[in-house]
Amino acid sequence: MRAVLRVLSPLIALALAAAGVLLVIEVVGAWLRPSLPAGVADGVVVPWPAWQVWLGGLTWRSEPVPVVAIVAAVVGLLLVLVGLLARRSAIGMEGPDPAITVTTSPRVLAQLVGRRVRAAEDVTSASVTASARRISVTAQGWADEPQLRASVVARVEELLDQLPLHRRPTVSVSVSERKGPR
Amino acid sequence: MTTPTTTPTTTARSNTTGLRRRARAAVARSAAGDRSLVVLVGGLLLVAGTLVALLSYGVFGTGRSARPLLDPIILDTLRAQPLPFRLVAIVGGLLLAVLGVVWAARSVRPESRPDLHLTGVPDTRIVIDSTAAADAIGRQAAGLAGVGRARARLVGPEHAPALRVTLWLADDADVGAVLAALDEQVLAGARESLELGELPVAVRLELDAVTPPPRVA
Repeated sequence: MRAVLRVLSPLIALALAAAGVLLVIEVVGAWLRPSLPAGVADGVVVPWPAWQVWLGGLTWRSEPVPVVAIVAAVVGLLLVLVGLLARRSAIGMEGPDPAITVTTSPRVLAQLVGRRVRAAEDVTSASVTASARRISVTAQGWADEPQLRASVVARVEELLDQLPLHRRPTVSVSVSERKGPR
Repeated sequence: MTTPTTTPTTTARSNTTGLRRRARAAVARSAAGDRSLVVLVGGLLLVAGTLVALLSYGVFGTGRSARPLLDPIILDTLRAQPLPFRLVAIVGGLLLAVLGVVWAARSVRPESRPDLHLTGVPDTRIVIDSTAAADAIGRQAAGLAGVGRARARLVGPEHAPALRVTLWLADDADVGAVLAALDEQVLAGARESLELGELPVAVRLELDAVTPPPRVA
């Protein structure tokens, strides 16, 4: 979301600036040329008199009005979501000194957990998602399910003991036993 | 350092809080301005669009929704008194243009890289280039045990620089030990040689790419 914001934000800014410049140009233009007859009058850059004629024939419930309003509302909602979701997703860790802030990304935490879990003998495959609050592991292995779950949980907890995380995420593990010859 | 009105402990505590805040700010470039403006523009669009849609579907009365889009009462007022509305439109347009240009310039401007000014030598002005100082720290950090690669850069304003260090850890690295070594072996030396009494540091940990062992020996 932060990348989207970085691209979107200057574009919106330039669009606003362009709208402001066009507004000034058209208002000054219309002010300086008041004597033109209605049929000849046209905007300097934007053909707004034609738009005015078209808009003059519309009421609030005419056809394109609600559709345009809904599209504007949806675009606005998307912008609000982009703005709100573009937070830093960093996971905080304890530094050796107050002047040192240590962070890592959820992706790195997930990779660390994944490597630790997959290093076990009885695990054949594992997928991990991680956030600052929660680590979920889906693992497949040869051992029966309770035993496999216990071993995966123990490995993740052992890793979390070693990492100086600010808050310890809760660990949820789901396992499935792999059938067939080993 | 201490003034008569503050005791050493309160000064130290407020210093620590300030350092911690600056260290946290150095983690990544701030997007607060961009975020609030995007939320503001989006919120205005959302509210206006919703209200117009409700009006259009007759929620505020069918009589209202049947009125013309360009209301004759408003048009007559505009025609009767054109001067104030023209001035308002011109001022509004200029404000919009200035706001848009300033915002665009702020959001595409690269993050500042403050140079360091040494004051220890009298009658001589010594400036250490931001990149040079950061590269030296980065090279030292890359030499620590358990660190595969490292990159450092100085961020923040020139009067209060902070350091951002990204460490790519090796597979078997002990995070706590690496951080302690970074503090003792790299940052302590950097503070001393760059004459920075206080240097807030933001460390970002990444994993070094693992090259998988060959499947066939």
